This record gives sequence, structure tokens and C-alpha cells, in this order.
Amino acid sequence: MKVRRSMLFVPGDKPAMLSTAFVYKPDSVMFDLEDAVSPREKDSARLLVFHALRLPAYNDIETVVRINPLDSAYGLEDLEAAIRAGADVVRLPKTDSANDIRELESEVERLEKQYGRPVGETKLMAAIESASGVVNALAIATASPRMIAIALAGFDYLVDMRTRRSGGSEPELFYARAAVLHAARAAGIDAFDVVYGDVNDDEGFLREVQIAKQLGFNGKSLVHPRQVDLLHRAYAPTGEELEYAKRVIAAAEAAHRTGLGVVSLDGKMIDPPVIDEAEMVLSRAYVA
Amino acid sequence: MKIAKEAIVGTLESSDLLVKVAPNDSGILDIVIRSEVIKQFGKQIRRVIDQTLSKLEVSEGTIIVEDKGALEYAIRARVQSAVLRGAASEELNWEQLS
Amino acid sequence: MTEFDFSAVRPEDSPQDVEEVKALLAASQLQFDTEIEVLVLCRARDRLIACAGLDHNVIKCVAVAKDFRGKSLSLRLGSEIVHLAAGRERFHLFLYSPPHNRDLFQGWGFYPLVEVPDLVLLMENSPIAIKSYCDLLRLQKSPGNRIGSCVLNANPFTLGHLFLVERAAADCDWLHVFVVREDASVFAYEDRFALVAEGVKDISNLTLHQGSEYIISRATFPGYFLKEKATIDHSWAAIDLLLFRAYIGPALGITHRYVGTEPFDAITDNYNLDMKYWLQEAQSTKEPISVVELPRMAINSTPVSASAVRRLLTEGDFDSIKNLVPATTLDFLEMKYSTAAQSAEGAELK
Repeated sequence: MKVRRSMLFVPGDKPAMLSTAFVYKPDSVMFDLEDAVSPREKDSARLLVFHALRLPAYNDIETVVRINPLDSAYGLEDLEAAIRAGADVVRLPKTDSANDIRELESEVERLEKQYGRPVGETKLMAAIESASGVVNALAIATASPRMIAIALAGFDYLVDMRTRRSGGSEPELFYARAAVLHAARAAGIDAFDVVYGDVNDDEGFLREVQIAKQLGFNGKSLVHPRQVDLLHRAYAPTGEELEYAKRVIAAAEAAHRTGLGVVSLDGKMIDPPVIDEAEMVLSRAYVA
Repeated sequence: MKIAKEAIVGTLESSDLLVKVAPNDSGILDIVIRSEVIKQFGKQIRRVIDQTLSKLEVSEGTIIVEDKGALEYAIRARVQSAVLRGAASEELNWEQLS
Repeated sequence: MTEFDFSAVRPEDSPQDVEEVKALLAASQLQFDTEIEVLVLCRARDRLIACAGLDHNVIKCVAVAKDFRGKSLSLRLGSEIVHLAAGRERFHLFLYSPPHNRDLFQGWGFYPLVEVPDLVLLMENSPIAIKSYCDLLRLQKSPGNRIGSCVLNANPFTLGHLFLVERAAADCDWLHVFVVREDASVFAYEDRFALVAEGVKDISNLTLHQGSEYIISRATFPGYFLKEKATIDHSWAAIDLLLFRAYIGPALGITHRYVGTEPFDAITDNYNLDMKYWLQEAQSTKEPISVVELPRMAINSTPVSASAVRRLLTEGDFDSIKNLVPATTLDFLEMKYSTAAQSAEGAELK
């Protein structure tokens, strides 16, 4: 299974960052053509990202491109660049409805065929940035078999809700977080928590990570390289959790090898969800 | 492609480059490169620029590059963007940009 | 990750911003230049920490707060202002700077042209523009040992100008005449140039050159970071003359520069003194250019001057003007400034 704890945002107009983001070993790298790039530079950033995507350094890291909305002057060309360059995932900002995803999917398929990529190879993820997006979260998450994740974009969502972040327990984000999480779980895809913008506040960042982890988020969208390691450590299982998970997996593999239909460990039956969980725990093992 | 008007792309920041193109009606490519690492990498930078322009079928114009230690991929991207901005039409032909 | 926010404003739209810019500039011993059309501002959490201004194709008023001086902010500032200028179709940019900032602006992709030691450095954003310009000039080089030159504002072209040009041409194997492309003249550059062209068309050993960005007019010279007016005047003259001696002169093989004396105009008189210094005397790797002062043509012992013509124009005294200008200039003035149009424009002429 693909672990997705950290999705590192990289501004598409900064060559220095585009070529070095892989160094921080995030689970996914998101090249941003949308909010990070001024209108004046949309064209040049697109080409930078097109070329950066093809750097050998990104062969082994999941690459995501945040395109501009398809109804903007830039979205379709962004998509072409992404597909042509072999991006793994396309992230659609401001996803309000399942139709947005279906529309995107249709363009992606057309482009995959045009550029000779295996149809279905490019995955999709949706960013929820509005009230509509939140209430449509489940429909969005299930709108396409290509969907692999759904992310909550806090800032724009709160603007739409006519409020702002309060720090602390933040009731203003509760429903949106819950909705996005439920949608993700029901659809069997990953859920990403909001960006933490104060890059100098490690404590605040880690507090928020704990909340997200406890709620069940797979990971978080990150805006600074140093957040990657902090996040990976925070998500790391304890020694005991890791041990147990390894034993579960070993038991499952043993059962599989011997053709037994049932997996057991310490005298107890291990259901598939427990095995899934063990896999997830293993995937989160911290590697420096 | 033909460079029909002046255009500029890029920044002066580290690992980036500023590329300026202008038409020159002289039938030749006048390429000027300034770089802090011109001694070590001047030839490579020039080669990448030549290749990029050749793929775009640009045969005349004045190209001035202020390099701040950019990698090849960034040089390609910036030169391509500059030519596209300077060209009359902005049709993207991905074959020529790959 | 926007630690720094860049924005662009027009000074007239944001007096509050201008106040902050003035304070930032003052901290670097700079004054605000009122000719600036647009300002690039950089803020860190609402605090103004860097600025740069654009006036036509000249960058001015560049400052970075002391506690933010490291290369990268300044380079971002440079990128922003260069792109701002490009958005206004201005690709060939100039910059006047205190000499100690040379390295900073070289990082911006600017190249030194000429320097008045300890006072001002002129730079442009191209490693080859001056060379290309000189290459073009060189194509118009004429053979001969005594190659003269005149630089005229011709605001408008008078008999005095004609007299100067005729004398200079007679004195030399060839004469190169330049018309200053100055925005602040009463008469538009196209008109001034056309009148000069008409006026000199019968002189066979003469080449008339369009004004270039390398002939600096006093009006567009930014002396905002120099303290006194006299210093500003001298610095402008020096920059203009250094460019002439270092680049324009050599490209055309110019050996002499002709200028009219102006006994009643202290500014011109000082300029002529500066001219003798910078073209003839100052230490230079370039050949000196001899300055030849010709007494102004006079009619009834009154020197013929363009300012006199402009004064007469405000009075509508075309009869007096007739004595001071060639026929072609008179025709132009009458056509443009006849009594009908005069009342509306008369007020503007001063």
C-alpha cells in the first residue's frame, strides 16, 4: 500500500525548490501551479513543472500536480503538461461536486490516449475548499475509480464559511474534517488534513498533527520541508505497536503460505481490518 | 518559431536564470550568457540553450541569459518560456518542448 | 509560504505607501523621486522592508531595510521590478546608483556604463546593448581626419542652430549631428527632429542621428540621491559626456565637438565648462575630443536662441520669430500655433 503521510507543496515557479524537494523524502511531492503562482507566471511555471517532473530524482516519489481549475484560462494546459510529463496524480483545487471530478477524469482520459499513457494510470485527488465541497464530499470521493485521496483546504473553506481559524480546538473545522474523513473512509481512499501555515511554530504544528492523527487522517498537506520530518516522527508507531504489527503481518503471510483461510495470533483470530491496520502501522514506521 | 517581440522570463534568484529574447532580423542567433559559473559550466549552459532553441526551430534573435546557477531542466524551461512569450502565437507543441 | 509580499502601486494612488517609502529611503540617505510612475513594495507582515521605483525606463529609489539585507530579498526585488517594467513593454532599463552599490546591481543583471567617481554610476540591464548601439553607429562612420559633432535639443530649430551646424560642417571633413530625445521639451521629439532634418538637408557632409538612450537629457537625469543642485547638474553633464567620449565618439571616430556659447545662460555656460573637462582633460583610456565653442549667431547683437523663440511664441509675435528661424520652422510654428489654437495652447507654452 502507498503510504501518504506527507504531501509537500512545492511552488511551481521556484526552480531551487523544484529540484530539491525530493531531498526531504516526503511521501508525495505536490508541484503547485495554482495558488503559489502569480497569473503572470502561470505559463512559465507550467514549463518548469513539466521539466521538473521528468527529473530522475522523482522516479521513486509520488508526484502530484495541483492544476488550476479547469474553467480557468490555465487549467487544461496545466493538465496537458502534467499528463505529458508523467505525473502520478492530479490534484483538483476547489472541488465542489462529483461532476468536477467526472469532468477532470474525462479530460485526463483524453490526454492519456493522446499522449500514449496507459489509460487509468493517472490518479486523481480532490481538494475541498468550500461548504459545497464538504457537503458533497462522499460523492466527490466516489466519483471516479481514479480517486486516491481527498484533502481539506482550511483557509479557503473558512472564508467560504465566513469565519476564520481560532487556534486551540477549532470547532470551526470540526464538521469539515469529519465530513472529509468519513467520505474518505467510505470510499476507501486517503484523507489529508489542512495546511499549517506558520512554518516557525513547531509546537503548534505538532499539536495539530496530533489532532489530525487522532481523528484518523492519513496525513497532512505541508508547506515547508521541515514539516516533513516532524510529521513522520509524529505519525511513527511506538516500538510496541510496530512489533505487534510485524507479528500480525507475519501471521498473515504464514497463513497465506500454508493455505489456511484463517489467520490467528496469540490464540485470537485476526480479521482483515486488523491486517490492513498492521500494514498501515508498518508503512508509518519512521525512517530517518 | 519566430521571435516577434521582446520578452523576459525567470528571476535573479539562486538556481534560476533570467532569459531575455528579442527579435533581431539579422538571420543569426546572438546568444549572450552571463553566469557566476561561466568557467565551469559555460559550455554546458550554451549547449542546453542551443539544443532548446534548435528544437523550437528558432534561428534568429538575440538571447541574453543571466544565469544564477540553474540546472539544465530550468534552463530548458526558461528558454522555452521566453521564446513562447516572444513568439506571435503561444501554441504549445509538446514535441518541441520535450 | 509567503514570508514576503510583493505589490505594485502608483504613488498618486497611495500617499500612505509613499510616506513609508520615504522613511525607508531616508534610512539609506536617499530621497524620494517624484517622477516615479510605479513602485514595487515588499512587506513582511505589513512592515515595508524593500522598495524600488520605475520612471519610464529608469529604475530609481531602491532600498532594502537594514535588517533584511541579504542577497535573496534584493534579488527578488530586482526580479519584480524588471518584470513590472517588461509588463509595460520596457525591456531596456537603466539605473543610476551611488557607486558603492555596483555589486548589488550587477546581481540584478545590470552592467556598468560610466561612472563619475564617488558620485554616480550609470548601469544598463544588458551586457551588449551599448556595444550593439556602437556597432550600428560604426556603420555610419565617414572617412576623414577631422570629424565633428553637435548635440542639439533644437527646441525649436533656429537660425542659431543652423549657423552652428553650417560652421561646424565647413570646419570638418564630416559632421555628425544628434538630436536629444528629451521628453520634457515643449516640442515633441518627432517635430524637432523633422525641423532639424529640413534645416540641414543642404549640408552634404553631414549625418543626422536620431536621439538615443545614451544621450542623457538633463530633464530625465535622476539626481534624487545627490544632495545639491550644483552637484546634480555636474553629475548629469559628466555622465552624458563620459558616455559620449567612451562610446559614441570612438564609434564614429569623432575628434571635435561643436557647441554654441551662451553668455547669458549660466546653466549652458557651466555645461560647456564641464564639456571641456570631461571630453578633453579628464583622465581616460579614450581619446580626447576637442571642444570648439562658437559664438552664438546674433541678430542686432541679440543672440539667436530657442528660448527667445519660445518666449515670442507665447506672445504670438510671428513677425519677430521670422527673423530667428528658417522658413521651415516658421511654417511649422505658424501651422501649429496660429491665433485660433494659440489661446488654448498659449498658456501651456511657458
